[in-house]
Amino acid sequence: MPPKAKVSSKAKEAASKTKEPEAPPPKTANERTAQRYYQTNPCEKRREEVGLHGLTPTERQTWANAFFLPLIVSKEVLLSHKSDREFWKQVGKESLPVRRLSRARKQHHAWGRDRHGRDVGELSPEDFDRRSLQQARLAALEALHSRFVQRRELAGLRLTRPGSSDSAAHEDVTPEEVEEDRQRRKEMAALKSELYGEKMGTYAQDPEWDDVTPIPADEPEGALAAIAYPDDYAEAISYLRAVMAAEEYSPRTLRLTEHVISLNAAHYTVWLYRFKIVQALDLSIPDEIEWLNQVSLENLKNYQIWHHRQLLLDHYHAQISANADADALKKLARSESEFLRLILDEDTKNYHVWSYRQSLVRKLGLWTPQELAATQSFIEDDVRNNSAWHHRFFLVFCDPAASTPGCHATEHDPAVPAETVDREVRYAQEKAALAPQNQAAWNYLRGVLAKGARPLASAEEFAARFVEGVGEGEGREKVRSSHALVFLADVWVEKGEKEKAALYLSRLAEKWDPIRAGYWNYRKQQIAA
Amino acid sequence: MASSTSQNTSTRPVENRDEDDGFVDVPEDDGPRHASPAVPKLFTEPPPIHEEYSTDTLTVQTQTMNECVEHLAANSMELDYNHRGVPRLRREAHIKFLKKQLGTLPAPFLVADASRPWFLFWCLNGLALLGEDTTSYRQQVIATAKSMQNPTGGFGGGHGQMSHLATTFAVVLALALVGGEEAYEVIDRKTLWRWLCSLKEPDGGVQMVYGGEVDIRGAYCTAVIVGLLNMPRELSPDSPAYSPDGNTTLFTGLAEYIRRCQTFEGGISGRPDAEAHGAYAFCALACLAILDAPHRIIPKYLDLPRLISWLSSRQYAPEGGFSGRTNKLVDGCYSHWLGGCWPLIDAALNGASDLDDPESKPQPSTDLVDWYSREGLIRYILCCAQDESKRGGLRDKPSSSSDAYHSCYVLSGLSTAQYKWGLTYFNEDEMLLAEPTWKVTPRVDDSQIYDQQDRVEAIHPTYTIPDQKFYDMQGYFASKAGF
Ligand SMILES: [Zn+2]
Repeated sequence: MPPKAKVSSKAKEAASKTKEPEAPPPKTANERTAQRYYQTNPCEKRREEVGLHGLTPTERQTWANAFFLPLIVSKEVLLSHKSDREFWKQVGKESLPVRRLSRARKQHHAWGRDRHGRDVGELSPEDFDRRSLQQARLAALEALHSRFVQRRELAGLRLTRPGSSDSAAHEDVTPEEVEEDRQRRKEMAALKSELYGEKMGTYAQDPEWDDVTPIPADEPEGALAAIAYPDDYAEAISYLRAVMAAEEYSPRTLRLTEHVISLNAAHYTVWLYRFKIVQALDLSIPDEIEWLNQVSLENLKNYQIWHHRQLLLDHYHAQISANADADALKKLARSESEFLRLILDEDTKNYHVWSYRQSLVRKLGLWTPQELAATQSFIEDDVRNNSAWHHRFFLVFCDPAASTPGCHATEHDPAVPAETVDREVRYAQEKAALAPQNQAAWNYLRGVLAKGARPLASAEEFAARFVEGVGEGEGREKVRSSHALVFLADVWVEKGEKEKAALYLSRLAEKWDPIRAGYWNYRKQQIAA
Repeated sequence: MASSTSQNTSTRPVENRDEDDGFVDVPEDDGPRHASPAVPKLFTEPPPIHEEYSTDTLTVQTQTMNECVEHLAANSMELDYNHRGVPRLRREAHIKFLKKQLGTLPAPFLVADASRPWFLFWCLNGLALLGEDTTSYRQQVIATAKSMQNPTGGFGGGHGQMSHLATTFAVVLALALVGGEEAYEVIDRKTLWRWLCSLKEPDGGVQMVYGGEVDIRGAYCTAVIVGLLNMPRELSPDSPAYSPDGNTTLFTGLAEYIRRCQTFEGGISGRPDAEAHGAYAFCALACLAILDAPHRIIPKYLDLPRLISWLSSRQYAPEGGFSGRTNKLVDGCYSHWLGGCWPLIDAALNGASDLDDPESKPQPSTDLVDWYSREGLIRYILCCAQDESKRGGLRDKPSSSSDAYHSCYVLSGLSTAQYKWGLTYFNEDEMLLAEPTWKVTPRVDDSQIYDQQDRVEAIHPTYTIPDQKFYDMQGYFASKAGF
């Protein structure tokens, strides 16, 4: 064995004084590595600067000795006995380091990148050391965590196969241990995120979900219109796939659906799954509706929400009808009406909301003065709101107590009382007079007349109020409503006054509604035929 | 150069005038920029009847009218207009936009996670309408479609999502758009048929998804899928609508269901009792036109005069575009939903002109009827519904941004306005057919306001994809009677 190279402090001092100037403290881990490299490779820096031939003979000797030292130690280079002795004498004198940092290490060592994509080697030595400690901590936590998981798995096995084992290691984990592991995962998630920018999802961190193996998206190579899912969504959906496949209906899956819905309320599958859970767990429908109200207000244009509400309504209605619970029925009607008022105030023509309202009326039989008044208030607020007009028509003419089931919307219905027709004609005319160019009121008026099999001529006088001197020249022809003009044209058709009808239609085509000229001309053709 | 006779209809405030007005001819006065004299006043001036009584509806209507007139006036310094005051179709920009929408979409698109098949259909159909070769997407569409397919039949919005009629419709049409046996064979007709049967309700309606809503889209999607794939019409015994006498089929009650959706206004609603709406009008008419020849079935189930009156009311001036409901605003997508109704109405009134018994025809021929102002619609599409920036794509209205949905349907509407569809009993080889078939010809007349190179491809009036793509797929499955 070669004698141990004793480091003579004197020689070291000399070396640092004469050969290497005092280096400033390293600013980064890479700099520190470089300094260590030069410390363990005497004269290397000089050689890099001036080349081997630029070194003094002494320096060259020192450099060569240092270069050969590891090779001789490892017996890759064999010396004669005499040379060996001479060599070690020199080494001792110069106190050369036996171990040295390799050149590769200095030049190419990659420490990897941190979560910001920075070269870890460019961290300050302090940060670098802290990072190393964190890595060690994470490794320790991972070991403890996997022991926890393993123990719980074994405990699970023991539970499913009692008597298969009585070893202490198979004892069930305590709630404290579960909590401890939850905390541990939190710390692991924080460390992973800090060290590698790696996100450990909420579900992966939660011991409650350990028994579920998430099913990640199976996205083929080159998939079209693929979405760059945010991590939390991707994780939640992968758990959703797994629990749906397992047909699990439980409180935790209910929470999962709520989470997915909060991220993407247009995911129809999650809504249908949620309804199944509500049914399977026999959850309180009023509670579910209350939760849904908030979601609805946050997603005004969403479609799925309203189908979910419809399913809840049907389900709940069946429940309370079976119990003949009149109070619950009344309460439901009231709370639904209140909520619809609230949401329609946000968006007065929302198609899904009004459609739901129609089915609510059918389901709960809300052919009531209150419902009519509620609808009327939308017309009072905006006389041009056609959705409100439509709902009114539905309330008045589809009420099973005062209409013929299956009667077509544009057909005469003898079951509708004459007073109802009178009342609705008055209402439509009153509103049409406010804003005569509002087509909603005119369409309504025509609809009512058709239901009552009233001739259009019964409203001729009314329509004539908005029209003056038709065909009598620019100065004298005054039209306040093109819809009144069409209405009158139809009155003339009805009365067989073809020429007058044609004139009115011509004036529509030429002056009062020329974008529809093709249609008005077609109507004229029909009259002539 | 603006005409001194035209009124100040532009709403552009004076201070917004272009800085380099000095380089161009500007009006003598200091008023806002005038509309181009090439544009008829119908499209640049408010309607002749001005209403004082103000409500929210009128406020937003006036705003929309103003923003449209600004674009219709054809006086932007940045755009080129033809001699009719119409800008060019920005074909390349739209192609680029649609191709981008087929690529990987950024995180905010996660709300579209359940409608990815629609992106396939909208983008591919838009590209096909613009004359792009969509077959190059074949392998990608196949792979994507497979990832959305469920072993129990049908396609969902993505991996792990339930099969849905809307997403299945979109996937089937996307496969038709890329074409080829390999693409067609992705569809498992037998499981698809059983799944369809499970959605059919005893009252005739069809659920969109198992446990989901029943509406008129279900009727249309069913008709398209059955028609395109030559599915057996009979029901499987486990269908809720199955009757032991075997008299009920997938189509039983569909037309009656559609009839129940016509409202007192004459238009069609999404489901019985609801308000008339443009998108559902197309679903209703196209569904009927697949179930039987339009001139036989449409007048039988719908009050046609009221329907036509309502359809015609959907076009507004000066905007030129269509609105979806009474007193709602114009929107580019209704160019298709409502524009697409007119060829079906035409066919319903005319029948197959060359053979049908003239006695049975309810109306004189409407061959020469201009049901709506094609000029108005095309102006709206080219002036208001195109994104003018580098982004490309088509949109609802000038104040909204372009998207794949509007790109597809605005272009479809443009196509409907540029071609004429009719029914004939003769095929291309002059062979007599048992049932009339659709025949398309480009519309060429003096009123054509767009440049010839801005004509897009023709789409089939009921299946809404370029007609050759439709015939190819239908022909492929025509030879498969059973499974
Ligand atoms: Zn739209």
